[in-house]
Amino acid sequence: MTGATRALERPMPRIAPWRRRGLRRAITFYVLISPWLIGFVLLAAIPLVMAFVMSLSNYDGLNLEYVRLVGLENYVRAFSDPDAQHALGRTLLLMAVVVPLSLTLQLALALMVNQSIRFTSLFRTIFYLPYVIPVVAAAWVWKIFVDPTGGLLNALLGVAGAEVNVRWLVEYPMVVLASLTIWGAAGGGMVVFLAGLQGIPAEYREAAMIDGANRLQVTRHITLPLLSPVIFFNLVTGIIATLQILVQPMLLAPGILGLSPGTVPPSDNYLYAVHAYLEIFVKQLFGYGSALLWLLFAVVLALTLVLFKTSRRWVFYGIEP
Amino acid sequence: MTTWTTRRQLLKGAGVLAAAAAAAPILSACQQTPTTPKAGSGKVIVMTDPNEFNDNDRKTLEDATKLKIEIVPSDLTRLYAMYAAGNPPDVFRVQAAGVPQYISRKMVKNLQPYFANSKLLKPDDLAPANNYYKWDGKAVGKGDLYGMVKDWSPDYTLFAYTKAFDDAAVKLPSDSTPLTYDELRALANKVNRKTGGKRVYWGFVHSNNDQWIDRTAMNMLAEKGQTLYAADFSKLNISGNPEALKVIRFLYDLAADGVQQTPTDPSPNWMGADFNNGQVAILQYGYWFSAMAESDVTKGKTVFLPAPTWSGVRRDPTMTATGWVVSAQTKDPDAAWAVFEQYMGGKPALDRAQSGWGVPGLKSLYKEMPQQSAFQKQVQKVLQGELSNADFVLQFNPYLSEQAFSTSWIKNLEPALKGSITFDKFVQNVETEVNAAIVDGKRIVGN
Repeated sequence: MTGATRALERPMPRIAPWRRRGLRRAITFYVLISPWLIGFVLLAAIPLVMAFVMSLSNYDGLNLEYVRLVGLENYVRAFSDPDAQHALGRTLLLMAVVVPLSLTLQLALALMVNQSIRFTSLFRTIFYLPYVIPVVAAAWVWKIFVDPTGGLLNALLGVAGAEVNVRWLVEYPMVVLASLTIWGAAGGGMVVFLAGLQGIPAEYREAAMIDGANRLQVTRHITLPLLSPVIFFNLVTGIIATLQILVQPMLLAPGILGLSPGTVPPSDNYLYAVHAYLEIFVKQLFGYGSALLWLLFAVVLALTLVLFKTSRRWVFYGIEP
Repeated sequence: MTTWTTRRQLLKGAGVLAAAAAAAPILSACQQTPTTPKAGSGKVIVMTDPNEFNDNDRKTLEDATKLKIEIVPSDLTRLYAMYAAGNPPDVFRVQAAGVPQYISRKMVKNLQPYFANSKLLKPDDLAPANNYYKWDGKAVGKGDLYGMVKDWSPDYTLFAYTKAFDDAAVKLPSDSTPLTYDELRALANKVNRKTGGKRVYWGFVHSNNDQWIDRTAMNMLAEKGQTLYAADFSKLNISGNPEALKVIRFLYDLAADGVQQTPTDPSPNWMGADFNNGQVAILQYGYWFSAMAESDVTKGKTVFLPAPTWSGVRRDPTMTATGWVVSAQTKDPDAAWAVFEQYMGGKPALDRAQSGWGVPGLKSLYKEMPQQSAFQKQVQKVLQGELSNADFVLQFNPYLSEQAFSTSWIKNLEPALKGSITFDKFVQNVETEVNAAIVDGKRIVGN
């Protein structure tokens, strides 16, 4: 009997059923996420790495002949750039205003359309609509809406009698920007909250009400705790989205150039991403602009980590399978 | 044992990935890579404004050159992205303010040898605005040619809406004697009108809503033989130059007067459309605007006026000199030139001249400008006087991008007009920011 024959006769090692199932599950998992993963690597991870390298250079975006590495110079510069500090302050202020108001509005809308009333589907569609309107169109609509001369807002405010001539984009630019942002995000957040609400078993609420809890108590002690993972998700994504806002303030700025190097938003709406954009495309400081964006990434990451740390105290995963 | 992904882990993962992608959208915008043909492929990529280059132009050029032409819409951000990717367009549209910078960064091709051998584009026939495409490393207007204007206009001329003057019972200025800027300011304040807090007429709108404010200031200063920048472009000098300070103060006061669109009194539209809507009494735009100045509202009520003077010296050059250049990195320079040459000297050039959308880039085509209607005749009368004062260039800074000055101006004008900062602080901020940008620009090119 040859060695080869002996090998053939050797019984195949038995693979535990759970291991075979685990392998299948892993393969299925990676196959299913591969389109997203490939997209993430090509469109996010690689540009991020390239941007990091760029942030260590004096690259002007025009000619590689003059490129040289400058170490951490761009990062050091960011800490002494008054415009960057102003822009970061305005961005954090916008975040502090927009995120709580957004979450409140989204949750309120979700609670409303979660009721068994007539035309619920119609209301859901209406509330969701702003979310699917392209931001450029939405910003123009708002710009016309708040225009002091022919805008609807002043006309509505003037219905009472006295003529209203508030120059919203001049006197209250951040109010307009925050309103546009909250309005635009309301539908998306509402849908997520709605899904969360519909995932809460009705028995919990019914049991509480049988025990004598009123609607407020049910909301406070049953609905909100069980909804806390969804609140947490919307909070994290809301913060990230607000910190990245670029297009809206540019579109709301005076003039018709929109997202273009010639546009300068008013001081109140001079946000961090706007500053980075202008440094890159007006001053052609691609290296410095990339450093600014990496610092933004660090801020986003830090805030996210803080939120995760605190989430253990207030996010309740009580109906985990 | 089966391990389930908990909701906490899923949310955690989603949050971290979302955070990781936070900066990606802006950064990845720099990575767009349009296709560029291989050498000898017979295709030329032209980045230009589709409003200025229609399908007929493309077909005419393709027939004349036997080359395929791909049009990429003009977009500065995209141009940078294409350069960053190493695939710039073969030919692209520029304005005068960007030319010294593009040349000093070796981005555009020296076309002097091509011009020397061209049968269509003869040096003696080139309009004065083409001097903006010359740069010898020290001054605009000297050295070899790197491009050419598609058309141009003496840009400091004025369009007056006569109804605004009638409504204010103010006499219309003469179309043969130029106003001084002081007279213009006084006039603007007289015809400027608001009713019930709502805008009726802006008195005097200029500088493309401050996008070209440095160009206006430079031309005013040039009347006295001065410039905004040091001779070697190493510094913006306003506070140290009394005349520059006077000019900047004048332009600032115009904004503070409330006769023009500003960050504190913006228009939702562009200034040309506001004129067409009958909301601007005096508009500073070049001859090209005459092709659209008469709308249903302004028809029969528009008059073309000569450029104002700062100190009595007539100077009315173009401030835009919009034209084309050929990329230094083009893989087929001969093909790029063929398209360039036909566009500048072939049938498309003749069509442009006859359309009235600008003074032709070739003097031999001047006679083709339209003069049928009464308004066109009046425009031509004024234009002929202006052309003799147009042979000048503005000294654009090679270390600054086109918007560096105006961005700083607009950014600081808002707090200044709101009273948050003084005029002196306004000037100081603009100087500091622009000078910092000059230092960056100099460092990039190794100076």
